[in-house]
Amino acid sequence: MKRIDPKNLSAQLHYRAAGNPPSTLPESAISNCFPGLEFDFRNLWHHLFEGIELHEADNYVVGGEGELQGLVGHRLVRVAGQATMKQAIGPQMPGGRSDVLTSASNPGGAWTMEWSNSMANVLHQRAGQKVPCEFTKDKAPLPVWVSDDPENPEDPKVETEIRELTLRPIFAQSKVLQDRLAVIEERIAGAGELTESLCSPWQNDYRECACYYWAASRPDYVNVEPNEQGLSEGNMWLAVHREPKEYIPDNGRDTRLLTYEDLFRDWQGKLKFIVGGKDSD
Amino acid sequence: MSILELRILPPLAIARLGAAPHPMDNYDVELHPEDPLGYRRLRPAKTFQVDTDRGTITRAFVPKTLRFTENGKVRPVAPFLEVWALTSPGRLEPLTKGLLASHGLSPADVRWRFHVANHKVYRRTGQEKDKVDAKIGPFSDHKLHPVLGECPNFWAGKRIPMGFVQYVNPTDAFAEIRLRFTPAHGYVYGASQTAPPLEKPEGEDYVDIVYNASPGNGTWLGYGDQNVPTITVPGFIYAQEDNGASKGYLDDGCDGLVYAELTVEGKVLSAYGRVGAGPPAYAPDSFPVRTVADELDQAMLGPQVRDEEATLALTEEIVRRAAETIRLLNTSVMNGNPIGGRPRVASTMVAQDTNDTGRRFEPIMAPSLVDNLAVLNLHQNIITALRSGTAAWFADVLRDWDEIGDLTSKGRRKMPAMMRGADGRYLALTRRQIDLIRKVAKRGIFSADEPGSGALAASDTQEEPS
Repeated sequence: MKRIDPKNLSAQLHYRAAGNPPSTLPESAISNCFPGLEFDFRNLWHHLFEGIELHEADNYVVGGEGELQGLVGHRLVRVAGQATMKQAIGPQMPGGRSDVLTSASNPGGAWTMEWSNSMANVLHQRAGQKVPCEFTKDKAPLPVWVSDDPENPEDPKVETEIRELTLRPIFAQSKVLQDRLAVIEERIAGAGELTESLCSPWQNDYRECACYYWAASRPDYVNVEPNEQGLSEGNMWLAVHREPKEYIPDNGRDTRLLTYEDLFRDWQGKLKFIVGGKDSD
Repeated sequence: MSILELRILPPLAIARLGAAPHPMDNYDVELHPEDPLGYRRLRPAKTFQVDTDRGTITRAFVPKTLRFTENGKVRPVAPFLEVWALTSPGRLEPLTKGLLASHGLSPADVRWRFHVANHKVYRRTGQEKDKVDAKIGPFSDHKLHPVLGECPNFWAGKRIPMGFVQYVNPTDAFAEIRLRFTPAHGYVYGASQTAPPLEKPEGEDYVDIVYNASPGNGTWLGYGDQNVPTITVPGFIYAQEDNGASKGYLDDGCDGLVYAELTVEGKVLSAYGRVGAGPPAYAPDSFPVRTVADELDQAMLGPQVRDEEATLALTEEIVRRAAETIRLLNTSVMNGNPIGGRPRVASTMVAQDTNDTGRRFEPIMAPSLVDNLAVLNLHQNIITALRSGTAAWFADVLRDWDEIGDLTSKGRRKMPAMMRGADGRYLALTRRQIDLIRKVAKRGIFSADEPGSGALAASDTQEEPS
């Protein structure tokens, strides 16, 4: 008979039930969700703080309860002193020096970091506790830049206010063992919430989102072999025909690639499984 | 031995859509012993054949070959979810017919509920009436229960089939308490402003019109994302007309929860697990470099690994997954190289840098270095080094979690390269993955660590005589 040490949460988290192929495991699902394939796992962080709802991909407050309703439209800029965003820095001109990359829609050049990494430490140390959350004092429809250091003289002066909010545990609790379970807490994400921000329909994403996302799940370059120069030669996965063997860059218009309509109507007949790098069925 | 608490395992099961009549057979993924740098090998594994009329497993068999499709349709991946029982503070074991009987209970005493939903339209429109939900139960029988998505904004009588659930009737040979979720066919559904015709549409993108977009009802047909901070990121990710207006399409994917309940000695015990239904894993012998499992590990265990957990084997697994990713990626195109003399031939991270931030458009790496085979060879060399016990020297070139905004020339070359992360900028691994690699890198050049197995079958379960 099988058994698991109840305290071994990893074993439960990664448990593969009898009869289940590996593609049923979280190990097979991508997590660089922008927005994702199986899930938009960014939605795990919507309800991280009791009383407010965060945008899954931004530090923008989209919902609030009771007196916290007033925070809707504000931005959560620091949690326990940790800034929730980073500035984009790079050159704008050939040979130019790197500088903050700003635009009219992002005057501070601020990018909200994914919650999974930016909240990892505070979640690990303070789940279930109140933590200081620093919000912009005013509503902020555009991204706002602040650093980890409130005293940083280079930071623009953004007025903020601090609220102590409870950091909700991600995992459910065992009443018997007084320990965590391996299942995501019900209040963290209700039915439909882990997929709600994916494409509708998902088939649209197979054209919409290009190859720099999820090549191990949605392949890009297949049937690859070295050519006479020793360079790679292969097909674009979405190519209608496999001969001639050439990579057709997806410029959004090339009729040699599957169209949105092809995918909506017959993705199962058109798309190929790729095993050993080659077309397979 | 008492039953103190229930669990549903796996706690998160992924189903994969497909319209073929027979679910995908089971298989293992493992390193090829004669080609450890090559593709992982798929080997047929013990598969349950379920008689859906009787609700029982009739046999367990190992298929001779693996086929992912059947007559032009994809075979759905239909996971089993098992109920486990905490029978002492140190013992978690499968709930079986026998264990139930020892408590004076039978399989009929297990009550199931199932609730999945597709809230994609609601996420855009914000209208509660656009939520598509399918709720079943409680049930204790072994019938095949259709999962039907209902929505206030659907035309009368219209529903989206989201698959089936079945409580598998335990037998002496297959005594465990388990439920199977068979997902939907992977079809597209449409919207209309006038009542849909009785006959099924032909020659359309969708298999049925379900959504009522008549005046005063749903707004999904013709909807357009506005330039406000509440929209999805990225925005405009739905089927749309040339003018950006939504075509009103829905799909039959979903996610949700499955609940099991049992009354033991007058006490109601309950547990829940989660399921999702998404597209097939189209390269089943490859795995993404950063996965939902990595997210769950970090959320569960924190951003740092213990020293004894930091092994070459785990490091090799991350590098192997990176190799499996770039192997299926045209790295020359993704690097922003001119192709056929033309710059910016495709959507790439290089183009996104310019579109999103105004950064100068230029390839990430030297164009002559990034052919797919050269990049694959580099990764294979790292795997070879790791398998020979060499420390993870590449730790220094990893992109740190808080370097996602570094679009300097050097910053863009960090690893993983050319890929997009969940924040829209360059992908970073989880902090826990990075910590693992750095801890291994700090050790001596040649440690006595074991190489990776490359298998994706490990569950830390123990077997004991029954």
